[in-house]
Amino acid sequence: MKTKLNKLVIFSMMSIFAVVMLYPFYFMLNTSFKSNEQFISGSNSFSLDSWDKLFSSLPITRQLINSIIVCFSSILIILILSSLAGFGLAKLKFKGTPLLFIGIIGAMLVPLHSVIIPAYVNISKFHLLTSYWGAVIMYAALGTPFATFLMTSFFNGLPDEIVEASIMDGLNFKGIFRKIAIPLALPAIATVVVLQFIQIWCDLLVGLLFLQNPENRTLTVGLGALSAGRTTDIPVLMAGSLVSAVPAIIVYLVFQKQIVTGLTAGIGK
Amino acid sequence: MTKWNGLSTTWVGPSTYINEFKNPIFWQVLTNNALLLLSVPIAILIPMFIAFLLNEKVVGWQLFRSVYFLPTALSWVVIGMISVRFFAQEGLLNSLLKSIGLGLIKTDLLSSERTALLAVGITFIWSMVGTNIMIFLTGMSNLDVSLNEAAKLDGASTFQIFRKVTLPQLKKFIQFSFVITVISAFTGLFSLIFVMTGGGPGFGTTTLEFFVYQSAFSKGDFGTGSMLGLILFVIMAGLGAFQLTLTRSKE
Repeated sequence: MKTKLNKLVIFSMMSIFAVVMLYPFYFMLNTSFKSNEQFISGSNSFSLDSWDKLFSSLPITRQLINSIIVCFSSILIILILSSLAGFGLAKLKFKGTPLLFIGIIGAMLVPLHSVIIPAYVNISKFHLLTSYWGAVIMYAALGTPFATFLMTSFFNGLPDEIVEASIMDGLNFKGIFRKIAIPLALPAIATVVVLQFIQIWCDLLVGLLFLQNPENRTLTVGLGALSAGRTTDIPVLMAGSLVSAVPAIIVYLVFQKQIVTGLTAGIGK
Repeated sequence: MTKWNGLSTTWVGPSTYINEFKNPIFWQVLTNNALLLLSVPIAILIPMFIAFLLNEKVVGWQLFRSVYFLPTALSWVVIGMISVRFFAQEGLLNSLLKSIGLGLIKTDLLSSERTALLAVGITFIWSMVGTNIMIFLTGMSNLDVSLNEAAKLDGASTFQIFRKVTLPQLKKFIQFSFVITVISAFTGLFSLIFVMTGGGPGFGTTTLEFFVYQSAFSKGDFGTGSMLGLILFVIMAGLGAFQLTLTRSKE
């Protein structure tokens, strides 16, 4: 009897907490289906006004495409660099490997704000601020250290015997990497992709500074600029927020396991 | 340590540093950072408690787990925008206060310096909850259950078991969530502040990372901006070293 009561108490506490965590989603949904006048007057009626305004007066489709282009290119660069580096650090050890690895871990700990000014100056000198490239290079540079760390720890867990056996079978290192290592590393690759996607999709600062051309702005940057411009049309802002949130939410729900793996990778055993 | 006019740099020596250390705004910014750190223990304790509840595996706990984790998918930009509405004069916070009979306390947290920082702190705690719950759940799923049974047989209460048996096993995870939360408090709040307050009112919610952005990109003073970035780096490196020695000495 006592445990049943306990469970009931726990269940109700968790339900209350769930309401607290879900409130923003409710607010976004509820507000986006009202017109600005309805929102201000606090009426409960329903309208598609704001969604109409979102797509007709704001470059939302364009920004969605930008987000996809920037995410895709940066993640591709991160994957190529981190899988090669991870394999090298784990399986092709040489004298400097530990030092190199510490250097990469060190790069993970440098806060973005400490390097953003020199990076900004350099990238502007290469005239890359007005194309996608400035931001893509930044995202790739920021994401690669952690991705390399994940890939290295994954390849470290791969037995050396597999590599040795493949050499006996006549494969060179290029072949081993392509035919053996990469297929086996798919779970680690998935973790890298998902974590980087969320990071880049949701980022404001890098996009704000490195995508100087408003036509190149990603969705999050577009929203950030809108809200900082003190737009008073909150329902439209909320509709835009919902559009930006949905892809990330889907990725989260589908790949929850990979995210937790990546998140707790730093704890070690 | 150089003066930057957009085209060329001139060596000015350490004067930028000395000027900045005399600047009262710089100290206010550092104080803001220190005050935000006060939210770190709360951002760890609440998730620990929730993870503890989840770990009791009551009906529907997997659904609750996903729900709690969901806000982590939201961009700080979106969180900030909703949070502004929540704390606004005609926002939900005031309606809630009114409905429990505290209508007299009509809050407008974002309108004055200290309370705006409080609003940012509360939003920060809310956003960290999902991540920290996941860290603690991972920790709790690795717990040695036989120890709990043994303690129960010895007549220990639930609270005693938690303190003497569970907590020591979670030490590594508490440290990890501490590090993540402190790093976020120092270097993850740019978007939130940008959207919620723009650093104001005054410099009430300007943290060091936001000050870097303001100095360099709003005022165009790249020299001071770089210097502030370097100070931020030194603070983070110091915290990292402190954390390392703490872990080492215990092992």
